Amino acid sequence: MKSFQHVSVPTIEGAISTLKDYKGKAKVIAGGTDILSVLKDRILPEYPQALINIKTLSGLDYIREDKDGLKIGALARLSTIADNPVVNNKYRALAKAAKTVANPQIRNMGTIGGNLAQDTRCWYYRYPHQLGGRIMCLRKGNGPCAAVKGDNRYHAIMEAKKCFAVCPSDTAVALVALEATVKIRGPQGERTVLVSAFYQPLGNDLKDNEILTEIQVPEPPASARQEYIKFALRKPVDFGIVSVAAVIKVTDGVCHESSIALGGVASAPLRATAAEQAAKGKVINETTANSAAEASVAGARPLSKNSYKVEIVKTLVKRVLLSGDSE
Amino acid sequence: MAKKYRFIGKPAPRKDAVEIVTGHAKFVGDIKQHGLLWGKVLRSPHPHANIKNIDTSKAARLPGVRAVLTHHDVPKWKAGVPPHLPMLDSKVRFVGDAVALVAAETEEIAAEACNLIDVEYEQLPAVYDVEEAIKPDAPQLYEQFPGNILPRGLPFFGPELLQEVIMGDVDQGFQEAEIISEGTYAFENIPNPLPYEPPGAIASWDGPDTLNVWVSGQGAYLDRLSVYYTLGRKIKVNAYGGPCGGSYGSKGMSLPVVLYSAILARVTGRPVRVCLSKEEHLNTFALRLGSRIHGRVGMKKDGTITAISGDWLINTGYYSSATQGMVAVGCGEVQLALRCNNWDLRPKVICTNRCASGIVRGFGGQELKCALLPIVTEAMEKLDIDPFEFFKKNYIRPGDGYYWRDSNWYVYRGAEYSKAMDKGAEAFRWSKKWRGWLKPTSVDGSKRRGVGVGVHGNGDTGEDTSEAYVRLDPDGTATIYSSICEHGTGQRSCLCKMVAEVLQLPLEHINITDSDTRISPYEFGPAGSRGTYAIGSAAIAAAEDAKQKLFALSAHALNAKPEDLETEDGMLFIRGNPENRIQWRRGMGVDSTVLGFGRFEADFTLPNFMMTFVEVEVDTETGKVDLLRVVSATDVGQIIDPYMLENQLNGCLGSAGIDSALIEESVLDTNTGRLLTANMVDYKWRTFAELPEMQNVILETPFPSHRFGAIGIGEIATAPGPSAVLMAVSNAIGTRLHSYPITPDKVLAALGKIRGGDEK
Amino acid sequence: MPQNKGVENDIPRIKATLPKIITESGSVIEKEFIELTVNGEAYELRIGNRHGEVDPVHTLAHTLRETLNLTGTKIGCDNGACGACTVIIDGKAVLSCLMLTVECDGKSITTIEGLADPITGALDPIQQSFVDHTAFQCGYCTPGIIMSTKALLHKNQSPTEQEVKESLSGHYCRCISHYHVIEAVMDVVERGR
Repeated sequence: MKSFQHVSVPTIEGAISTLKDYKGKAKVIAGGTDILSVLKDRILPEYPQALINIKTLSGLDYIREDKDGLKIGALARLSTIADNPVVNNKYRALAKAAKTVANPQIRNMGTIGGNLAQDTRCWYYRYPHQLGGRIMCLRKGNGPCAAVKGDNRYHAIMEAKKCFAVCPSDTAVALVALEATVKIRGPQGERTVLVSAFYQPLGNDLKDNEILTEIQVPEPPASARQEYIKFALRKPVDFGIVSVAAVIKVTDGVCHESSIALGGVASAPLRATAAEQAAKGKVINETTANSAAEASVAGARPLSKNSYKVEIVKTLVKRVLLSGDSE
Repeated sequence: MAKKYRFIGKPAPRKDAVEIVTGHAKFVGDIKQHGLLWGKVLRSPHPHANIKNIDTSKAARLPGVRAVLTHHDVPKWKAGVPPHLPMLDSKVRFVGDAVALVAAETEEIAAEACNLIDVEYEQLPAVYDVEEAIKPDAPQLYEQFPGNILPRGLPFFGPELLQEVIMGDVDQGFQEAEIISEGTYAFENIPNPLPYEPPGAIASWDGPDTLNVWVSGQGAYLDRLSVYYTLGRKIKVNAYGGPCGGSYGSKGMSLPVVLYSAILARVTGRPVRVCLSKEEHLNTFALRLGSRIHGRVGMKKDGTITAISGDWLINTGYYSSATQGMVAVGCGEVQLALRCNNWDLRPKVICTNRCASGIVRGFGGQELKCALLPIVTEAMEKLDIDPFEFFKKNYIRPGDGYYWRDSNWYVYRGAEYSKAMDKGAEAFRWSKKWRGWLKPTSVDGSKRRGVGVGVHGNGDTGEDTSEAYVRLDPDGTATIYSSICEHGTGQRSCLCKMVAEVLQLPLEHINITDSDTRISPYEFGPAGSRGTYAIGSAAIAAAEDAKQKLFALSAHALNAKPEDLETEDGMLFIRGNPENRIQWRRGMGVDSTVLGFGRFEADFTLPNFMMTFVEVEVDTETGKVDLLRVVSATDVGQIIDPYMLENQLNGCLGSAGIDSALIEESVLDTNTGRLLTANMVDYKWRTFAELPEMQNVILETPFPSHRFGAIGIGEIATAPGPSAVLMAVSNAIGTRLHSYPITPDKVLAALGKIRGGDEK
Repeated sequence: MPQNKGVENDIPRIKATLPKIITESGSVIEKEFIELTVNGEAYELRIGNRHGEVDPVHTLAHTLRETLNLTGTKIGCDNGACGACTVIIDGKAVLSCLMLTVECDGKSITTIEGLADPITGALDPIQQSFVDHTAFQCGYCTPGIIMSTKALLHKNQSPTEQEVKESLSGHYCRCISHYHVIEAVMDVVERGR
C-alpha cells in the first residue's frame, strides 16, 4: 500500500476533530476488511492522507437492549452480533443477515458500522488500479457508468439513474426491514437517520468528518416472523445477488403488517411497500405470496444482463412470505 | 490375485508432510536471499495499442528504485509457440500486457515507481471473438500471423504435430448415418486454474553467462529448458524448484515471469523476485482455452458413430505458450472416447486481445470435449440412446488404434475399461436415475434433479523422457535424484515408495533430492499423468540398476553369485537364507556409494480413462444449480497411495474443472477489454460449505506399464465433468443449454422465464 | 553487463510517517516502536521502512513474513477472500492480510509456527491428523486451514461436521483437499471425545 498517516483516536470527539484536521482527506478504519482492500487496489482517484483508527475508541462495541429496543455500538463485531442471544431471540433477521456475511474470519474482524458503510462491490468500481488503471465513474467523481453497456449481471434493477452499483451490505437489508436507524456524530453534533435513508445514489449519508456510532433497532412485535434470505452463487464468501429481509406479523394466518426489504436491487436496500400492501390483511397463501411477489418488482427496470434478478426477487419475496421462521 | 506389496498401495504420510503442516515448507515467495529486490510490472490499460512514448525518468529517480526497463532496454527474448511474444514490446495486446519492468528495494517502492511511469499510447481496435478475429478486416495482433491464425506445430512434441483429425471418408460416413446432429457449442468462459500460490520466480546471475532461477513450477527442467532456448542457448541456466502451491499445468510454463526476473537481475546485479499479485494472476497469466465448435455428428441407432466433422475454433488470447500442443493432445484424446472411422475435425488456433490461455489440466482435451460432446449427445437424444451405454460402447478397447500428438498411429495395449464403467454406473445407480433425454430424475416443487455422464482419456501417461539416479549409501539409505517438484500430487513421495519397494528399504530411509537441474539428470516433469508410469519407470529402473550393482559388488562377501542375492532393510543375503545376512556396507565399502541410472522413453500406448457421473438439483424459480453428487470411475492398474490418489480425483471440482460448468468464469468486458473478475470474491470457487457428495470408484487391473502395473490419472480428473453437468442440467429442466457456466440467468432463460441468457 | 552494486547502503531513507496516538487529553504521541508477541516470543519493532522495521502500511501478514521471517503464514489473495493468512488473535481466527501491524501493538499472535511444541517438535494433534490423513495436496492452504481449525476447536471441542465446514468456509483450496481435511478434523474431534 501507498503510505498514509496513521492516527489512533481515543474518543468519538477525537475521531471527529482528527477527521476535520485532514479536511476530507482522511478515511476511517475500524475492522479494516473493506477499507484496506480499497487502498490496496487503489480504486479511488484520491488516496487518503490519513487513516483514522477508531478501534481504539473504548466502549463502542456494545450490544444492549432497553425499553426502546436494541442498541448496537458501531464497533460491535459481526460475529458477536451473530452469536448474541438477544439478537438471535428478538432481532432474528439481523442475526441471520450477520451470519451470512463473507466468512468467519471476516465476521470476527468486521464491525456492524463497517458493514453498513462499506463501499460498493461494483466490479467496474473495484477494478484494481495495478491492472492498467482504475475505471473512473460518477461515484469516483466523474465518468459514465461502464455497467450500463457492459456486464451488469450484478447491478441495480430499480431506481438507479446514473450509477447502477448496489449496496452490498447484508445487515443493512435486515435493518431496513426492522426499521432501524443509525446514529451519526459529526462536528455539528448527533443525528439519527433511518437505515433506509442512509444510502444515496452515489454512496451513503456520512459527510466528511462524520462517523457512524450506533445502530438502534426498535423491538419488533414478539409474534412477528422474521426472515433474511440471501441469494448468491455461493453461501459463504459471496455478496448477495438479491436478498430479502422481512418482518411479518401474522395472526391466524392473516398478514396484519409486514416490512419487507429488498437487497441487491438498488443503491440502497428498498422497502417493498407495494408488496407489503399486497399482503396486508390477506391470508398468507400461495396467491397472496404471488401477488406480493409481482408487486415487489412492479418498478423494476432491469439492464441488459440482469433481468434474472427480477425473477429472483419475486421468488425470494414469495418465499419469505410462505416460509416459517426458519433458523 | 493382488500382489502383496510392502509399501505400494498402502497409505503413508507424505515425505514433506511435516514441513507443510508446520509452515516450514519454503515456497518461492518464502525464499529470502541477500539483497533480494522486488520486481513489478507496469501493465497496459488498453487491449490493443502502440506505445508511442514512455518516460521513466520520474520512476527512475524515486529513491529505492534499482531498475526501470522498457521495450527499448531489454533483449529480444521471445516467448511463445513459435517464438513471437517479445518480453516487452512496442505494442500491447491485452489489458494487463507488460509495458515496463521495475526493480526496487521494497514492494511499495516498486509499485509506486510503476505509477510514476508516463506512457503515451496510440490505441488500436481490439478483437475478442474468434470468428471476428479471422475476418479479413479484423485488427491484427502480430504482423507475422495474418488473420490472427497461429501457425501449426510445437517443435518440442516432434516434427509432425497432430493438428487435426482427418481420416476415412466423412461424406460416406454421413450417408451411412441414421441420424445427423449439427450445432454449435462453446466452452468459452475462460476459467482460471488459479493455483493458490501465484506464479513467481527469483533470478540471480553468477557472472554474465550463468543464470539461476527459482521458480514455482512442476519440474525444474522444463523451466531450465524454456529459459535456455528463449535466451538463445548461449546462457547456462540452472533451475531450482521447491514446493509449488498448485499448478494444474499452468505453471508448467511461467516463462514471462521468469524472464522479467532474469532481466531485472541482470541489470541490477542483484537477485530479483517477481511474484504476481493475485489480481495479476487472475487477469494476466493463464486461462483455459476458449473452445467453440460448429460440428456435425452422424450416428446409427445402435450407437455407432459414422462420422464427425467440424470447425474447432480455439481462442488462445494474446499469445500461445503451448496451445498447438494442447490442440494436438485434444485431437488425440477425442479419438479415445469416440470410436469413429470417419473424421474431419479442423482446428484453428486464433489469437485475440485478451489474457492468454495457457496450459491447464485437461490440456486441450477438456476444452474440446466440453464443446464437442454436447453435439454428440444431440444425436444420442434423437435416437434415444442412453449416454452411459453409448460411451461404454465407444471408448477405446485393447487393440484399437488412434493418432497421437506426434501424428503416429498407436494401438492401445492396456486394460479393458468397461468394467470400471459398470462399477461406476452401479455406484451412481445410473440405471435408476437415468430417465431418458431431457427428463428429470425427480421433481419436488420448484426443485428438479437431473443426471449426466461424461468420459475422457489421455494417452500421455507415458509421454516424454525421464531420467533418474538412485544412490545407495552404506548406512542402508537411498537417495533419488530427480528434478520434479511437489505441486500437490504427492509424486515425490510416490517415487520414494516405488524405490522403497524395489530396494525393500523402510520408507524413512529413502530420500529425494531437492529439485535442482545442476545435480539431477534430465526430467520432463510431472505432467499429463506421466508421474506414475514415466517418472516412476525411470526411478524404478535406477533403483534396480543400483541394486544390481550392489549385488555385483557384494557377491564375494557372501560367497555367492550376484543373481542369487536379495536385499531387505539395508541387509544382503542369499535368496532363501535370510538369516545369514550382512549389511550393505560390507558389500559396497564403508564409505563408498553405489549409483544406479534409469531412463524412460516415451510410450503413448497406455491411455488412461475417467468417467464422471453427476447429479444436480436445479431451483427453477431462481435458476440456481446445485451439484449434489459426483462419482468418478477409473482403473489405475495399481494404487500407489490411496490418499494421494483420492485427493487427485477429488480435484475434479477445482482447477477450472467441474465447477467451470457451474460457477467459474473469467468475465471479459468487451467494451474495455478488461477482465472484471479480478478478485477472489468475483472469481467464484468451491467452498467447504457446499461440497457435493463425492465417490471415487477405482479399479486395479494391472497394466503393462512398469513392474507395479500402474498408470497415472490426475491430469484427466477434471475433464469429463463439465459436459456431464451440462447434460444433467439440461435433463433436469427439460431443455438444452449451450454454454458454460450454467448461471441462474441462463437457466431462467432456458425455462422461458426471462429473455436472453443462454445464447447459442 | 550487470553492475554489481553493494547492497548494504541501498535501503532508501524515506522518512516513515510515524503512527500517531491521540490521548484522552488531546495530546499526540508518535509511536516509534510497537510490541508484538508472536508464538510466545516478544518483539519490539521499530517503525520505519528499513529492513526489520514496520511501516505503517504494512499488514500483519507482511510483517510476519518479511520482517519476522515467519513465512508459514501465506498470502493468497491479499484481500480477505481466501484465508491463507489466517492467524489467531485473542482466540479468534483473523485475516492477517487485512490488519495493519501498527494496529496490533500489544497483541499476542499465534501463527502456524507456534503450534508444534517448540522444544520437542511434537506436532499439535490437528497437524498430526493432517499428516496422517494426507489432508493437503499442494499444501499452500494448509497453514491457514489449520489455524482456523485450531480456533474452532478452542471455542468448541466437539463441533459437528457441518460446523467444521462452516468455520472453514472462508478457506480456498484449489486442489480440493476439502474431503480429507474434514476427515482429518473430525478425527481430531472424535479423539477428543
